[in-house]
Amino acid sequence: MIAIEVEHLVKRFGAFAAVEDVSFDVPAGQVAAVLGPNGAGKTTTIEVLEGFLAPSTGAVRVLGADPRQGGRAGRARKARTGLVLQTTSLDMQLTVAEAVSLYAGLFPRPMAPAELIEMIDLAGDAGTRIGALSGGQRRRVDLGLGIIGRPEVLFLDEPTTGLDPEARRELWAVIQSLVAAGTTVLLTTHYIEEAQRLADRVIVLAEGRVVADAAPDQLRARGGTPVIRYRLPPGVSAGDLPADLARRVDPQRRELSLPSADLTADLEALVAWARRSRADLTGLEVSPPSLEDAYLSLTSESPCLN
Amino acid sequence: MSELTVTDQTVPREAAPPLRGTGQLLAAQVRYQMLLLVRNPRGMMLSLVFPVLLLVLSSVRRHPDPRLEDALVAGLAAFGVIATAYISHAIGLVTSRQDGVLRRWRATPLPTWCFFAGRIAATALLALASVAIAVAAGAGLYHVHLTGAAALSLLVIFALGALAWAALGTAVTALVPTAQSAGPVLMLTYLPVILFSGGLGSVSAEPGWLATLARYLPAQPVISSATAALNHAGPGLTLISGHNLAVLAAWAAAGVLASLLFFRWDPARPRHAPRR
Repeated sequence: MIAIEVEHLVKRFGAFAAVEDVSFDVPAGQVAAVLGPNGAGKTTTIEVLEGFLAPSTGAVRVLGADPRQGGRAGRARKARTGLVLQTTSLDMQLTVAEAVSLYAGLFPRPMAPAELIEMIDLAGDAGTRIGALSGGQRRRVDLGLGIIGRPEVLFLDEPTTGLDPEARRELWAVIQSLVAAGTTVLLTTHYIEEAQRLADRVIVLAEGRVVADAAPDQLRARGGTPVIRYRLPPGVSAGDLPADLARRVDPQRRELSLPSADLTADLEALVAWARRSRADLTGLEVSPPSLEDAYLSLTSESPCLN
Repeated sequence: MSELTVTDQTVPREAAPPLRGTGQLLAAQVRYQMLLLVRNPRGMMLSLVFPVLLLVLSSVRRHPDPRLEDALVAGLAAFGVIATAYISHAIGLVTSRQDGVLRRWRATPLPTWCFFAGRIAATALLALASVAIAVAAGAGLYHVHLTGAAALSLLVIFALGALAWAALGTAVTALVPTAQSAGPVLMLTYLPVILFSGGLGSVSAEPGWLATLARYLPAQPVISSATAALNHAGPGLTLISGHNLAVLAAWAAAGVLASLLFFRWDPARPRHAPRR
């Protein structure tokens, strides 16, 4: 079953096209991360899917229906979706327990408030007003209110932006437990590590278009190349290396850094030189292509790789 | 963070339980909105404390005519009602919009009408509490004599006034860009109306055109009806005059219509430059 469908979505604000032509499907149970630089159209896309914005052209469906559908059917669909907005969206005057109980009362089959408060690790602050919580704790309340109704589809718009690494990992743990229970998740993020940790699939947007849509491993292999690193031993200068390799030496750091499209050939050349020159290869490193390299390469060039 | 898992989510999705009943949702909304109102110190000061403070300060001066005292108490009770229904209500909406809370509500299964009904009902209840406090203070400080019939009349008059002003407060949020600008915008529209309508004391020396204008604004009908109810010594209810009822109904209808047409759930979007 397809949980989220986006077909040739275009969203304009006056003359500005925030989303130019975006299409993708997310099957039920999958976690898809939408990555992209600021202004790529991530938040606009997710806001159309959340029903806050109408598409200029194209169509979107969530759980098989238009997210802007009203009436009883619209309410029933909203009861099956959850969301965490880009910025904290809470009533600061309420306590954690009051907010959680209030939102639990909206859904037909909510989690028990005490269970949820335990899950977001705020049992000790259940009676504390939200305005008195730290930024990380408020974000956990945000997430809690997004999942209290046991959503089948969860939208997370940059859920961990501004959190410290520990708070980020804690939030990931909650999201992973939802995913394990079968929730479909669409998240936007700036953090490559977050996409790598949580997502089955990465959709990269640049300038309002999809420039890549693949599993993290596929994307890494597709957009990035492994890198050969070698710190020159004492007594060896860049000029001693073959010309192709010498060009890639950073003279300040005295380090060769070579993104390699043909790893075997490049290593053979280096090893052959070392044998001839009796140079010590201790410290030679080959780094696998990273998702970050792939992402940076995609968003700087933005050709369509699909 | 605990290692709890959401095992119950594996319950078959097909057998979705029915949505919550609207009566239950509305009751929860009224309670929630009431909590927000009573935990807002600025709003409570304006709604409950200011009218009593002004009554205490005015009591230093002797009023030769008891009917003027009735008018003063009715006016300051209206001051509290309108401050609650218009200013506190509208500032609360703008703040919720700016904080993304309205957007979150819009994404829940709560019917839209239920959100507004809950908010306006809570506002009206707090407004009526402010009337009770102001009238009790008036009875203690002045020669105001409150009969059961007058109390019931006041209840109806101020409830209608609160609903009309809450509708206007909802509509005017479309003109207020941020929570920071809400106070000045609302005060600029509220204070002249309440002043020229007799909310802060007698307006007998007003020019004729201003008195006529005030009769068609939504504060004076509330104040004059409430004054009539306090003046009325008989056992029966004081009926609101047709003119006052029509003016309040017209303003309420205008507020509801403008809200339906112009209410914004989201803050204004920043303008974008076209992409190259």
